[in-house]
Amino acid sequence: MRIEILGMGCPKCQATEQNVRKAVAELGIDAEIRHVYDPKEFAKYGVLVTPAVVVDGQVKVSGHVPTVEELKRLLRG
Amino acid sequence: MTWWQILLSGFEALREYIALHVLTCLVPAFLLAGAMVTFISREAIVRYMGAATSKLRAFALAAGGSFFVAACSCTVIPVASGLYFGGAGVGPAFILLWVAPAANILALVYTGAILGSKMVFTRVVAALLMAFLVGGVMALVFRKEERARAKAVATNPVLPRERLMAKSDMFLLLLLVVALLAPNYIVQRGPYWQKVIVWAIGMALVFGYAFWAKTKEEIRRWMRETWWFVRLIFPLLLGGVFVVGIIGALLPEAWVTEWLGGSSLRSSFLATLIGAVSYFATMTEAPFVHRLMVLGMGAGPALALLLTGPGLSLPNWLAIARVFGVKKALVYVPTLIVLGTLIGWIAGLTVLR
Repeated sequence: MRIEILGMGCPKCQATEQNVRKAVAELGIDAEIRHVYDPKEFAKYGVLVTPAVVVDGQVKVSGHVPTVEELKRLLRG
Repeated sequence: MTWWQILLSGFEALREYIALHVLTCLVPAFLLAGAMVTFISREAIVRYMGAATSKLRAFALAAGGSFFVAACSCTVIPVASGLYFGGAGVGPAFILLWVAPAANILALVYTGAILGSKMVFTRVVAALLMAFLVGGVMALVFRKEERARAKAVATNPVLPRERLMAKSDMFLLLLLVVALLAPNYIVQRGPYWQKVIVWAIGMALVFGYAFWAKTKEEIRRWMRETWWFVRLIFPLLLGGVFVVGIIGALLPEAWVTEWLGGSSLRSSFLATLIGAVSYFATMTEAPFVHRLMVLGMGAGPALALLLTGPGLSLPNWLAIARVFGVKKALVYVPTLIVLGTLIGWIAGLTVLR
């Protein structure tokens, strides 16, 4: 599974990355996590409002910091 | 003056600010900020902006829509670049970049609560005027590049998938704006406890309505976003007030009056420059300007600082240069400094006399 976090280094984006790592660890899944800082790449995904979480090329969260619970639900599904 | 006295005046400024502003100004302001992020779809707003076909419409939509995007200069960059790289014109993208931090509803209402309605009204008009001018300049300077880009990028504007906001959300936001303004407008003179009573009634109405109209999950999200604003902005606010308290003790009032007082072109330029270089998070500009005005800053320069303070900062110049290219930053920043200086100067001589 490939998880990308889109954000330009704002505090909310850092918190999102932390939550993603926590969720992945708690679920014990194998995932490659990448933090994307370049806004030109955000446009490729059609993401306007950061922080955003992209799982296997699909935008799952955009515009708020997802909680660990929310992410676990999302990654499991 | 000893360092101890200097430090003390910093704390004195803090104490005064906390006593007078935290409950009746900041609590509703943070709740409003959280509600704006939770209940207004920023994505829908930006998509509407991107989908505008005629230039005038695009400019107007960008300027109007940005009022509802509460953001600091740092967080608005990805939104504006998303708009730009998604195919919108350079004009609207830079209008959003300017208006969202310089004149969003939250900052305006908060300015009104601290500095009065005349200043806030002038700030709205000035910010809009500057938005159209800076958008026009950007579109004009980069017109060749824009034409090439319009051909290369097949613009297929995506209309919003979700709606802007629900009616019940709009009512809640309206209630919050009223709750933020009421204590400071109804009780203009008079003891502080009267403000607290008006504040308490406002808050009771807001939460009464929220619990009646919103689900538990929505309220929880709203509180989470509010808490984010508290954690991000509150320390900056306190730090800012502390610094101004110290500046006030160090600088003789004569100095502030000399360099930032009156309504000369030089005062306005200096105020603009201070605002353009230093970083102000949304809302922090209001108490800062308020204290400088007490020390003798003129109304025109105050307006200039209110405008460029949150809208521009050194880190934000660098980020703009990185994202949009050095050339665009070199046009955008000086244009705003010139406009800010002129508008502060003219307003100081006319409307804000």
